[in-house]
Amino acid sequence: MAISSKLPQQKKLINRPWIQRRDLLVGLVSRDIKLLYNRSALGIAWMLINPLMQLVVYAFVFGILLVNNSIPNFTSYIFSGLLVWTWFQGSLTEATGAIVHNRALIRQPGFPVAVLPVVNVATGLIHFLMSLPILLIFLWIDGIELHAGLLLLPLLMALQFALTVSLAYVLASLNVTFRDTQHTLGVLLQMLFYFSAIFYQVPEQYSHIFQFNPVLILIDGYRSILLSPEATTASFGWMPVLILAAVTAVLLPLGHRIFQRQSERFVEEL
Amino acid sequence: MGHGIVVQNLGKRFSAYPSDRPRTIMQAAMGGFKRFKPMNDFWALRNVSFEVQPGEILGVLGHNGAGKSTLLRLIGGIGSADEGQIHIRGRVGALLDLGAGFHEDLTGRENLMVAALIGGLTKVEVLAREAEIIEFAELESFIDNPIRTYSTGMGMRLAFSIAIHTDPQLLLIDEHLSVGDIGFKTKCIKRVKALRDQGCAIMFISQSPDQVMELCDRALLLNRGQVAAYSDPKTVVTEYQAAMHPDQKPRLPQAEVEVLGRQIAITAMRLSPTEPFHCGDPLTVELDYNCLEPLPDPIFSVRILHENGAVCFTSNTHRMDCNKMISPGTGRIRLQIDRLDLNGGKYSMHAGVHSKNWKTLLEYQDKMAELIVKPTRVIEGLLHPPCIWTIETARLESKQDSNLAGDSKISPEASAV
Repeated sequence: MAISSKLPQQKKLINRPWIQRRDLLVGLVSRDIKLLYNRSALGIAWMLINPLMQLVVYAFVFGILLVNNSIPNFTSYIFSGLLVWTWFQGSLTEATGAIVHNRALIRQPGFPVAVLPVVNVATGLIHFLMSLPILLIFLWIDGIELHAGLLLLPLLMALQFALTVSLAYVLASLNVTFRDTQHTLGVLLQMLFYFSAIFYQVPEQYSHIFQFNPVLILIDGYRSILLSPEATTASFGWMPVLILAAVTAVLLPLGHRIFQRQSERFVEEL
Repeated sequence: MGHGIVVQNLGKRFSAYPSDRPRTIMQAAMGGFKRFKPMNDFWALRNVSFEVQPGEILGVLGHNGAGKSTLLRLIGGIGSADEGQIHIRGRVGALLDLGAGFHEDLTGRENLMVAALIGGLTKVEVLAREAEIIEFAELESFIDNPIRTYSTGMGMRLAFSIAIHTDPQLLLIDEHLSVGDIGFKTKCIKRVKALRDQGCAIMFISQSPDQVMELCDRALLLNRGQVAAYSDPKTVVTEYQAAMHPDQKPRLPQAEVEVLGRQIAITAMRLSPTEPFHCGDPLTVELDYNCLEPLPDPIFSVRILHENGAVCFTSNTHRMDCNKMISPGTGRIRLQIDRLDLNGGKYSMHAGVHSKNWKTLLEYQDKMAELIVKPTRVIEGLLHPPCIWTIETARLESKQDSNLAGDSKISPEASAV
């Protein structure tokens, strides 16, 4: 009995593991997205409807009901913050269950467990990217021109990606020992949301406290690129972003190791 | 070929924690984060050593909870060993949790892609063999329906088909060679053999001695995490069957397995009467043995199995006061059964010898003789002892005084001749 023809890929043996990882990641992410929208009437359109509805609510409450701000380009200001926050919060919440909810996958020999939180964060990234054009439309309505500074966006996104994954590694590991991590995280994220200056500007006298909020650092970065093109390179302080990048560079391998160990322990639990 | 599995002195310990161990952050904070020590440990596997060469199939037998699945998982790299080493070379393909990555709402084709990616193929490779996988699973007309519409068998077939199409160099199969109907099973076994012929090292767990005999080059019997036997399939299967029947051999953990027949051998078995045998006839079983070493109080046993495998009768010399020191030389032992009410059919006779107090199995001979019982008028059932039906036709109110008058006796429709 002839077993199927030898694979064309097998010649490039050095490349193969990486191609395999990439394909696996893409496959799992596209499965996630299919699952989210598979049985809904509007399907993939929810990706756009969701952030828009949120924007309407916040713009109404903070732009019309509680008008006490003098933020220029208020809609774009809220929307940019909201998108960054939604990505961060959504993927972190999902990824916290990465070990606990994927017992079957973790038990597959040779399955790279560490890919699981990456899948969650990547799914969030897809949502983020899908909403980005809407943000650009709001920018255009607010009269902000597109400019070369936008090319810095991918760098910030990469930083956010790495930071979220590192945090997810730690939280998912913690969730194995303490199953209420996910619920506790919900409350903490709620607090962090209000401290991230999504719909207000940080008052001058509190800025020394707010500067420790990593999400705010990211949002500030995005906003300076998107909303104030002329200030991008000149007046914006990039130091916090660089420090955040350094912290992430330490946290990522550390979290990875903890995650690996905890997931191994998890499958052994009876 | 350079791949295979070598396992040396493998040990795996599980810990049981006290039930009041904190489960939530709140509880842990209240308990002051003190370290919880495991209450007690137990070894799920201990001192396990064996190897599987490329192109070889190893069958793993054992009771439920003997550590078979744990062993396969460890070899698959899931969890880490506490003792000993596992050397594996080659890509592992495994059928441990079939259909693990499947999602109900996605179609068979979508699930196939994800499951094959999880199994270690690249996208190009999956696309190249998608048709082959679907064909093997016999799901051509259902592949674009959601998995939730599949029957259990269909899902299993797809999962199995994916797993054996990932070109594994080491294949671990956890009791899944009995997936689907007979036709599909035969196809799976054929495929497993083909993989073996290509140099794949295969380990599979089975509860079916016949399958082990048919497929395996070697077999491993696990008992409470220890290797009870590791040899050619026939020897191990014999040992397994003996261990599966507690009346035959109640003490399971055997430190040492004697080579069967080295100390005492059963050379012949005679039945009388031979043919024809009718239901209810007395039966005499004579065993000839050849003893090679002096044996104190050995236990002889005899079993009668129906051809469908059901154990109909066992008897042994334990606590029968006929045990004594057996000295070297030949001898004969006789079992007299006063009447054997077996229904018509084909039966096989098995005999074995254990050392004193069931310590070890010294000799075992299966199917030494065949017993054919002439058909009775009752077709079903293994037993057909003489029996009498009585029907009470009396009315309830006059039951006390007309007990005898109203009864009518019906003679047995088929008395034991």
